[in-house]
Amino acid sequence: MEDQTLKYEFDESEEFSEAFVCCVCLDLLYKPIVLSCGHISCFWCVHNSMNGLSESHCPICRNPYYHFPTVCQMLHFLLLKMYPVAYKRRENQILEEEKRRGFFSPQFEAEACGSQAKVDNHGSSSCCTTMDLDSSSCLEPFSTTKEEPPAQMEELGSVIQRQLEGTIISEQASEGKKDAMGTLSVEGENLPGNEQKGQDKKISIADLLCMACKQLLFHPIVLNCGHVYCESCIVSIADEMLRCQVCQSPHPRGFPKVCLELDNFLKEQFPEEYAQRRDVVQLKTVEVEREIPPNCSRDNSKQGEKLPCLSDPQSKVHIGVGCDFCGMFPIMGERYRCKDCVEKIGFDLCGDCYNTRSKLPGRFNQQHTPEHGFELVRCRNMILRLVNGQLETTISDESFENSEVIFLDPILSDDGEENQNDSEFLF
Amino acid sequence: MSQRGEWGFSFPVRLKMIDFARVQKELQECSKDVEESGIKVSPKSDNLALLIGSIPGPIGTPYEGGTFQIDITLPDGYPFEPPKMQFATKVWHPNVSSQSGAICLDILKDQWSPALTLKTALVSVQALLSAPQPDDPQDAVVAKQYLQDHHTFVGTARYWTETFAKASSLGVEEKVQKLVEMGFPEDQVKSTLEAVGGDENLALEKLCSG
Repeated sequence: MEDQTLKYEFDESEEFSEAFVCCVCLDLLYKPIVLSCGHISCFWCVHNSMNGLSESHCPICRNPYYHFPTVCQMLHFLLLKMYPVAYKRRENQILEEEKRRGFFSPQFEAEACGSQAKVDNHGSSSCCTTMDLDSSSCLEPFSTTKEEPPAQMEELGSVIQRQLEGTIISEQASEGKKDAMGTLSVEGENLPGNEQKGQDKKISIADLLCMACKQLLFHPIVLNCGHVYCESCIVSIADEMLRCQVCQSPHPRGFPKVCLELDNFLKEQFPEEYAQRRDVVQLKTVEVEREIPPNCSRDNSKQGEKLPCLSDPQSKVHIGVGCDFCGMFPIMGERYRCKDCVEKIGFDLCGDCYNTRSKLPGRFNQQHTPEHGFELVRCRNMILRLVNGQLETTISDESFENSEVIFLDPILSDDGEENQNDSEFLF
Repeated sequence: MSQRGEWGFSFPVRLKMIDFARVQKELQECSKDVEESGIKVSPKSDNLALLIGSIPGPIGTPYEGGTFQIDITLPDGYPFEPPKMQFATKVWHPNVSSQSGAICLDILKDQWSPALTLKTALVSVQALLSAPQPDDPQDAVVAKQYLQDHHTFVGTARYWTETFAKASSLGVEEKVQKLVEMGFPEDQVKSTLEAVGGDENLALEKLCSG
């Protein structure tokens, strides 16, 4: 028996840190998502773990959440840079799976820097290639790209994008747009130094910067939109939902927790810089008595109230349907469906996000554009069946005319009658 | 049939297939510290969906000294759905059916999380052996005895451990069969095996010398 288990061993050419092992698939994180409790998992692992009927729970700490967060691109590119071989293996593995199922995770290769760079109104993806030569020659810390095998176009592309980000960041830093939190500057003193230490493949502080202060992250927090900040850089206004300073998307349900895995990684990777940042931040917190509202007060924020549970007969729960902008899953309340997205997975928005006219493409690599039209989804003729503890959904071929939901699910049967009578279970 | 318009239409979208890569990793991980934990998981056959786990009875309980085999069946949705576990070894315990071996444990039901593994689940089963929950029984008879006649309960549990969960009682039939095939009389084989504590080789030695 022992021998039998041995043969399952992976011939892994690249060792990766325990910190970056996904708790669900037990493999290297791929397209990592950080939940608001600070725990990290892969895009599909989080998605598969979510409950399409009501609130979901973190696989590790069981912290409840309703919103499917966006992939943390900073971590994505960090892992790609640190473990190119293993990450590539994961990419191929997942892509194969995605092709088989016909559902796709977001692609960052083409517009990776886009999401960050566009927001800053700096270069578009088209200028990536033209900037390539200049940036790699003028930016010493990023010159490692030259070693990348040119055959791996995607990887190269993403590294170029990192370069671009780097230039933007340094531009901003030199422009001094942001009020300096500390005295560390982004370029110069730090980056070359780290390259000497860089035992972990050529990562530098530039790969781990806060979106706000543009310095090495200290006590990193990842918002629902996937952008990373220092805990101390998050501006929260009492009684208002936390919003990302970069993309303005809301962060529902309370003040997020520090991503400890990432924080430990920073501490190990850049001990001196981390210590410096700690001193600066601590000094600052002493000077300005920052008040972080306790979690409980935020949990009762507007968004929270709007999320009634499934058992509430008045609620319109779109079972198994999520909002492509804020990630609410399942959508409760109004649901708008894109009429023009052709992808199998479709594109949906919750009422709030429809009204704010989100401009983001879908979370599953849909080619959604703001020009697409929407329709309000009313009701769906459907039958829920409980087979061996599995909720199987059958959608009738008929149109989506108003019709009742038939619950054959013993668990739900308590409210089942009510549901059939007076509640519209939009689906 | 339209499936358009719903990301995370979780039921059709969700992988209805066991993540075998993960199961392999779990087996590998578990085999690393068998010495320390005493917890083993191995596939029953080439099909990784059927496994057998074994846990040592916790020290200081009536189950001490026993080795308990647990049948594990992985559902299609594993690890997003809990593994099905039941005792293959007979156990006298309020939360385990004395008939079927079915286990009453929340993490094997609604409290399952994909971050749990077969090993952690087995550790929980082991912990259940040392901390029975008679208020939430699987076997009402055992639970009643546990609450009302604890002394008898301990006695029965210990007797069941001795009878069904000792290493010597594991596969004893096969050992007997093997030795009988070598030409030793069955009753002598049985008594010798018993005398050496079930060790096949020792028994053979003894049979040969005696």
